[in-house]
Amino acid sequence: MTATLTRADVGAAASVKRRRRVPSWIAVVPLLAFVAVAFGVPAIAMLNGAFTVKNQTTGATSYSTANLTESLKGAYLTALIGSVKLSALAGALGTLLGLPLAQVVVTSRFRALREAVLTASGVLANFGGVPLAFAFVATLGNAGVLTTHLGLKDKGWDLYSFWGLVLVYLYFLIPLMVLTITPALEGLRTQWREAAQNNGATGVQYWRHVALPVLLPSLLGGFVLLFGSAFAAYATAAAMVGSSIPLVTLQIADAISGNVLVGQENVALALSLDMVLVAGLVMAVYLPLQRRSARWLDA
Amino acid sequence: MAGRLNLWRWVVLGLAALYFLVPLAASVIFTVDVPGEGITFDAYTQIVSADGFTSSLVLSLELAAATIAVVLLLMVPAMVALRLGAPRLRPVVEVICSLPLVVPPIAFVAGIATVLKWGPDYLSRTPLFETFVAIQNPSFPFILVLAYVVMALPFVYRALDSGLRAIDVKTLVEAARSCGANWPQALVRTVLPNLRGALLNASFLTLALVLGEFTVAQLLGFQPFAVWIYSVGGSNAQLSVAVSVLSLVVTWALLLTLAGVGGRDKTASSRG
Amino acid sequence: MTVSPPRNAVLGGSLAVVAALALSACGAAPTNSSTTADGKNAATATSVADFGGMAALVKAAKKEGTLHIIAVPRDWANYGAIIDGFTKKYGIKITDENPDGSSQDEINAVTSRKGQDRAPDVLDLGSSFALSAAQQGLLAPYKVASFDQIPEGQKDPKGQWFNDYGGYISIGCDAKRVKTCPTTFADLLKPQYKGQVALNGNPTKSGSAFGGVYAAALASKGSFDDIQPGLDFFAKLKKNGNYTPVESTPATVEKGETPISIDWDYLNAGYADEFKSKGVDWKVSIPSDGQYAQYYSQAINKDAPHPAAARLWQEYLYSAEGQNLWLKGYARPALMTSMESAGTLDKTAAAKLPKVSGTPAFPTEAQQSKAKTVIAQGWAKAVSG
Repeated sequence: MTATLTRADVGAAASVKRRRRVPSWIAVVPLLAFVAVAFGVPAIAMLNGAFTVKNQTTGATSYSTANLTESLKGAYLTALIGSVKLSALAGALGTLLGLPLAQVVVTSRFRALREAVLTASGVLANFGGVPLAFAFVATLGNAGVLTTHLGLKDKGWDLYSFWGLVLVYLYFLIPLMVLTITPALEGLRTQWREAAQNNGATGVQYWRHVALPVLLPSLLGGFVLLFGSAFAAYATAAAMVGSSIPLVTLQIADAISGNVLVGQENVALALSLDMVLVAGLVMAVYLPLQRRSARWLDA
Repeated sequence: MAGRLNLWRWVVLGLAALYFLVPLAASVIFTVDVPGEGITFDAYTQIVSADGFTSSLVLSLELAAATIAVVLLLMVPAMVALRLGAPRLRPVVEVICSLPLVVPPIAFVAGIATVLKWGPDYLSRTPLFETFVAIQNPSFPFILVLAYVVMALPFVYRALDSGLRAIDVKTLVEAARSCGANWPQALVRTVLPNLRGALLNASFLTLALVLGEFTVAQLLGFQPFAVWIYSVGGSNAQLSVAVSVLSLVVTWALLLTLAGVGGRDKTASSRG
Repeated sequence: MTVSPPRNAVLGGSLAVVAALALSACGAAPTNSSTTADGKNAATATSVADFGGMAALVKAAKKEGTLHIIAVPRDWANYGAIIDGFTKKYGIKITDENPDGSSQDEINAVTSRKGQDRAPDVLDLGSSFALSAAQQGLLAPYKVASFDQIPEGQKDPKGQWFNDYGGYISIGCDAKRVKTCPTTFADLLKPQYKGQVALNGNPTKSGSAFGGVYAAALASKGSFDDIQPGLDFFAKLKKNGNYTPVESTPATVEKGETPISIDWDYLNAGYADEFKSKGVDWKVSIPSDGQYAQYYSQAINKDAPHPAAARLWQEYLYSAEGQNLWLKGYARPALMTSMESAGTLDKTAAAKLPKVSGTPAFPTEAQQSKAKTVIAQGWAKAVSG
C-alpha cells in the first residue's frame, strides 16, 4: 500500500520545509521599523539639538554641553525646581490619600462598589488635560460656582497657585494610586491578619509590623509613578494657569513656540532631555520596586 | 471594631465622592446657571452648532480610528509571533513599548517639531518635502497618527500581553493548522476571537488617549477636539465647560461599556 | 501545491501600499507661480505699481480667492467688521486661524509652515515682534499706496512692516465685582484687589502683555531703557496676592475670572460695549502714572501662499474705509493725523476714544530688544513668587 512519492508530495514536503524556515520574528519587523522612524528619529533630533550650539554671529553650529548647563540656570532652574516640588508633593499626597481609599474599596463587601470604583479610577487616571482644568476653573476659579457661593475669595483662596494645581492634579493621581495599589492590597492574605490577631496584635500593630512593610515596595512604586505622571503633565497646567507658574513642561512649550530670544529652541531640547532623564530615573526606580512587590504577593 | 470600621469606611468614601463628584456637579451648574439670565440650557443646545465642534470632533475620531488600526496592525502580529516562536525578542519588544513612557509627550513633541523643521530648512529641494507637507495636512494630519501610535504602544502592549497570557496561542494555532488552515486563517479565526476582550480594551484605551490628547496637537498647530475646547474657552466659557463635561461623560460611558464587555468576555471564556 | 508563505505576501503587500502612499506624497517644494499682469511675480511685488495698478491687483487677488490671517479675534479693535468688509468688497474668503494666539504664535506659524499652503499670509504683530520677524528675514517688503502718509518712525524704511493702529495701556475693571475701580498702577497694589489683577497674556509671547509690563515700568520710575521696575512691580503684585495668572480673554472678562484687566484701551472699551447687554459694567481708564502707547504692525509673509490677496488686504486696511473701521473699534489708526487734515476721518468715532493727555513717545528698536531680553530672562522668576 505504499504509494510512490509523487512530484506533488515532494513539492508539498519541500514547501512545508520552506514554510517552517520563515522565521516568526519577521512579524515583529514592521513594529520595529515603525518605532525606529516615528520615535527614533524625533529622539535622535532631540539629542542632536540638545547638544548643538549655534553661534549667533557666525551661524556656525558646534556640539557642546552649553545648552544643558543653560537649562539648569535662571528661569529654567526655577521651572525645574517648581516641577519637582509640585510632583513630589502631589505624588506624596496622592499616595497618602489613595491608600485608604483603595483599602476601603478592596475590603468592602459589595463587589459592585469595587468594580465601580476600579472602573472609575481607570477612567479618571487618564482624565487630565483641558476638560479637567476647565471643570476646576468652573468650580473653584475666580468666578467659580463654589468660589462665589461659599465666598472663598474673601478667605484668600486662589486656584491659580501651587496648592491649587496640587488639588487639580490629585484628581487623576489618586485614581492612579488606587489602580496601582489594589493588586497589592488584594495580595494581603487574611491569614496574616488572623495570625497577627492570634498573637495579640491590635489593628494598628498589624498595619505597622505586617501590612505596611509588605506594601512598602508597592507604595513606593506607586509614589514614583505618581511623581512621573505629575512631572510630565502639561495640558492641565497650560489650560489653567497659562505659563505663569514655573513648570518645566510649560517652559519647554514656550521655548518650542520660539521664545523671545532666537535660538532658545535648542535649550528647549536640552530641557526635554532633562525631563527624559528624570522620567528614566523614575522608571529605573519603579520597575524593580514593582517586581519586588510582585514577588511578595505571588509567594 | 466593626462599628469604628464602618464609620471610617463611610468617611473615606464620603470624602472621595465629594472630591470627585463636586467639580463635575459644579461644572454643570456653571454651564446652566448664567448670571443675568437664570437657568438656561443654551450652552448644551449650542454645542452642535458651535463653530468647529463637528469638524474637530470628526477629526479626532478619524485620528483615533487610524491610530487604532495602525497600532493593532503593528502589534497583534508582533505579539502573536513573540508567543509562537521568538521568545528572545520579548525583552526587546517590552523595552520598546515602555520607551514612550520615559519620554513625556512634551519632550516627544519637541523632537517632532525639530524634525518637521528639517522639511522647509533642508529638504525643500528633495522629494521628501512633499511627504513632510502631506503628513501635516490640516484636514488629516498623519503626523499625529504617527505620534499617537507611539504614545499608545505601552497601553496596547499591556492589554495584548495580558490577553495573550490567558489563552494558549501555540495550541490553538497548531490545532488550526492541523485542520488545514493556513496562517492568516489560523490567526483570524482562532486567535483573534479569543483576544476580543484584549483587542477591545486596547482599542478603547487608544480612543480615550486620542480624544483627550492636547499637548502634541496644540504644539504642532492642529485643532482636534481637545485643542478646540481650549480655544473656544477663550471666547465662550460656558460652551467650553459644557463640552468638557460631555467629553468626560462620553469617555466614561465608553470605558464602562468596555469594562462590561470585557468582563462578560472573561466569564464566557472561562465557561467555554 | 506550493503556497507562498502568506506572511511574506502580507509583508510584500503592505510594503507596496506604503510605497505607493509615500510616492504619491513625494515631490519638491512648489515654486510660487502667481504672476502679475506684466509677468512679475506677485510674491516680489513691492507696491501697487508693480502690479500695474489697483485693478490688476484686485484681479490677481480674486484669482487666488482666499486669504489666511492668524491670531485676529473678531472683537479686537473691530476686526470683525474689517474682515466682513473686505470679503464683501472683493469676494475673497478669509480664514482666521487661532484667534487667541499671541504675536509669537504668528511668527512660529510662519517659520514652521514655510512652503505649505496653510501658512499665514499676513501678520499683525506687536512692534517688538515685528522687529524680530524682520530681523529673521520672514517679511516681504511692500509699500501700500498711502505709505508716505504713515508717520516717520512708525514704519520700516524698506516696507517690511508698518504700524496700523495703536492704543494706550489701560486698566479695565468690572464695576459690579470691584467696589472701587483702580485708576492708576499705584492703586493696583492695594490689598483690596487680591487675586483680581490680570494681564492679557504672557509678556514673553504677547504684545499686549509686554506693553502692560512696559507701562508698569514707566509708572514705577523706570524708562524705555529700563523695564526692570516693571518686572519688580509685577513681582510685588504677585507677592501681595493681587496678581492672577489667568490670561484675560473676552470669556474671562464676561465671567468675572479677571475682574481687573491690564490691556489695550481699545480692547477694554470694546468689552465695555460688548458686555453691556450681558449686565457687565466694564470701566476703562488710562493710568496717569504709566502712559504707554504702542502700535501694532502689519506685515506680509515672504512665503505667503496667497501673495496678491495679502497685498490687497494691506491696501484695504490702509484705505480710509479700513482705517475708520479701526477707529470705530476705539483704536487710533496710524493714518489718523493725515486723514484728519484730509477730512476723511470719522469724527464721531474719534470723539469716543478714551481720553489721554499729551503725545505718545515710542521706544526705539534697540530699547525694545533690550526690554525683551530682560523680560525673557526675568518674567518667570518674577511671577513665581
